[in-house]
Amino acid sequence: MHDAGTANPSWNRAASWRRILLLTLVFLPTLAAARTMAGLLPSRGGTALEILLVAVFAVLFAWISVGFWTASMGFVLLLFKNNRFSVSRAGEGMDLTIAGTDARTAVLIPIYNEDVRRVTAGLRTVWTSLGKTGSSGLFDFFLLSDTTDPDIWVEEEEAWHRFCREENASGRVFYRRRSSNSRRKSGNVADFCRRWGKNYRYMIVFDADSVMAGTTMVRMVQSMEARPDIGILQTPPAGVNRETLIARAQQFANHVYGPMFAAGLHFWQLGDAQYWGHNAIIRTEPFMKHCQVPRLPGKGPLGGDILSHDFVEAALMRRAGYGVWLAYDIGGSWEETPPTLLDELKRDRRWCQGNLQHMRLIFTRGLFPTHRALFLNGILSYGSALLWLAFLLLSSAQAVADVFFEPVYFSGTKTLFPQWPVWHPHWALTLLGSTAVLLFLPKLFSMVLILVKDPQARAFGGRANLASGILLEVGLSTLLAPVRMIFHSLFVTATLLGKSVGWGTQSRDDRGTSWGEAVAAHWWGTLFGAAWGGLVYLANPSFFPWISPIVASLLLSAPLSVFTSRASLGKAFRNAGLLLIPEEVELPDELAGLEENLRRPEPYTPFPLSRKQGFVRAVVDPLVHALHTSLLLRYKKKAPARENALEELVEKAAVKGPGSLTRREKMELLKDPRHLGELHRRVWEAESRDGAAQWGLVLPPSESGE
Amino acid sequence: MTSIPETGMSTPAGSPDEWRYSRDRVLLYVRALDLPPFRGLDLAVESLKAAGPASVSEAMRKLRELLAENGLDRGILDEEGRHISSMPSLNRGVMVAEPLDRVPWKSALGRFLRRWRRNLFGPWETNGHA
Repeated sequence: MHDAGTANPSWNRAASWRRILLLTLVFLPTLAAARTMAGLLPSRGGTALEILLVAVFAVLFAWISVGFWTASMGFVLLLFKNNRFSVSRAGEGMDLTIAGTDARTAVLIPIYNEDVRRVTAGLRTVWTSLGKTGSSGLFDFFLLSDTTDPDIWVEEEEAWHRFCREENASGRVFYRRRSSNSRRKSGNVADFCRRWGKNYRYMIVFDADSVMAGTTMVRMVQSMEARPDIGILQTPPAGVNRETLIARAQQFANHVYGPMFAAGLHFWQLGDAQYWGHNAIIRTEPFMKHCQVPRLPGKGPLGGDILSHDFVEAALMRRAGYGVWLAYDIGGSWEETPPTLLDELKRDRRWCQGNLQHMRLIFTRGLFPTHRALFLNGILSYGSALLWLAFLLLSSAQAVADVFFEPVYFSGTKTLFPQWPVWHPHWALTLLGSTAVLLFLPKLFSMVLILVKDPQARAFGGRANLASGILLEVGLSTLLAPVRMIFHSLFVTATLLGKSVGWGTQSRDDRGTSWGEAVAAHWWGTLFGAAWGGLVYLANPSFFPWISPIVASLLLSAPLSVFTSRASLGKAFRNAGLLLIPEEVELPDELAGLEENLRRPEPYTPFPLSRKQGFVRAVVDPLVHALHTSLLLRYKKKAPARENALEELVEKAAVKGPGSLTRREKMELLKDPRHLGELHRRVWEAESRDGAAQWGLVLPPSESGE
Repeated sequence: MTSIPETGMSTPAGSPDEWRYSRDRVLLYVRALDLPPFRGLDLAVESLKAAGPASVSEAMRKLRELLAENGLDRGILDEEGRHISSMPSLNRGVMVAEPLDRVPWKSALGRFLRRWRRNLFGPWETNGHA
């Protein structure tokens, strides 16, 4: 299983001590907090309900403690800047030349029904940036399409062809579309590996919205060359380019707290880090040999394809003896965050299922304990929401029970004095205070780190703006936390009950959420909050203030969803200098290039067809038609029944126009060059003017009118 | 555009509207092909002349024949005159999933029981067909 000869690498001892420290720091305070919590309850944790309450509280406290201590470790690491384990040290003092001429790298951009304009703009940006390093000759790019939309398929082909012509990139930038998108993104990458993986020592995996600086990519290759024990090197991508309020708050949090948390993760994970699926470089050979993710047996959401394959691939790479490292101090790696709360929740639904699937892998033989812990961590990312909800509901149940059931003053054993229920408000305040410290002190740490680096905090618009931004972000995330809690609880419950998710495209533009969409998504949460709050208020009004922030957030969830999705609101904050990120204060060349590339004009076409009408253009536009049919594999004659069906499809399309075809029928025609050619001929030879017009065969009015 | 009578050409027979319609369709195709301007126009004129006072379909058929004769219907070719390909040549490798022992205590128990049975009864003898 091990083939790198580094089963017990030099960093292992340090990692073990660091993990023991982390566990101690988490478990001892958790025990103390759980005891305090039990002491606060009327029966001192003596009833089944109270035991459950304390157990749930303890898990939640431990969970937030892990975050706190990770942040604290990151704080110390970044403050003293003396890290002998930093991977980026391997490339220190080197120029941007990659010594090994056989160290070829494939840059993989897996796409699935994405906005082609954005993908091409990102590709052009990275291509240009890499070109400036002088080492671009060692990199090839692959657009790996799993697209199922006929219009987008054609658009992708055109975009690739245009790019190659304009940038003289033929033979360096490739496009491949899979006819079957089995195993989704991991299958897409595996398909690349099987076809061309042997040609490349490394592959850098992108997401459709990833952007990386050429220097960063070269540095990553240099680090991999210098450290043959590394299997995967992950960069921490920074969120950029969003305008909606919620996304700007996420970007801000990502920039202010992200570096500290990444450093903290590095501190205790070292070579057992996670792979996040993109913005990372992978050693291709061991990846092909050891990291194919198997299908989980059984049906339902916990079986089949593993949705969060990246964590598993990291665990398998580590099991093979290679390190997985987080290059927390490498910049020039960006991604885009979901623009709205609903988009974020849609993504979380998928991630939730993927992480819960890891329950079935925790005990897999040969995995390293840290990766088992990381699986657990991922499960708790969503499971904690359900636990938090359970804790709140149990607390509410306890409060209601206190009203309806008399306290037991004399227990079964004979005592002289009654056992009075005692309430220790200072204990409660201490517990509340320590929880608040765990949650909010890292924010202060981050601010200190920024101010130590630059006392004026210019990258965040100044000290006052930085402080206000943190307060705003804390306020907004506090408001949204209960909404996320009930959605995540629903996702966990639905997954455990056997409800699966589809594979949706992530929205990558700043479109807002309409009131209709918000009400449709949040009505049940609002009702739930109203019923919960109403019941507690009627039964035990003195307990109501404790849950009122949660109830208020749930009642306001629809308006919150709408207002936080507004780009206008995000821009207003930006104009006021709030929630600013360094990339907005000083735009890096790559992001400036991306903006410019997004503004590139569309190529000339004599047809009144938009670029999004890919299928129609593949039928009508002779050049697009020729390109599409050239890229298809050789035509094979099909079974007579199939041929007849396709001929009928051509007839239907020619007579009734493109609107009469379903998406599946369009795909059928696009896959068959002979019948597509026949349709092309029929459309151009159509005598009926209306028939031709429905395919866009009209000259612009100024030219055709005589 | 005006309806100035053409000189040096025979007046086309058939409905002028049909002619205009055929001409526009042929010109549109030629424009979309992005041929050098005079080359495209020459082909359009030639196809319209050859089709005569006929329908759009006939004019288009003639144009396509002319394109084929001139080698302009061969799809998109690369610099070496080969059919364009968006992918490099295949260099096949293997990537298969290693079996995962997700419940190691179960397989450990199985191994233990097999070893125990071997110790007690000796290796399992299979009476094969040999």
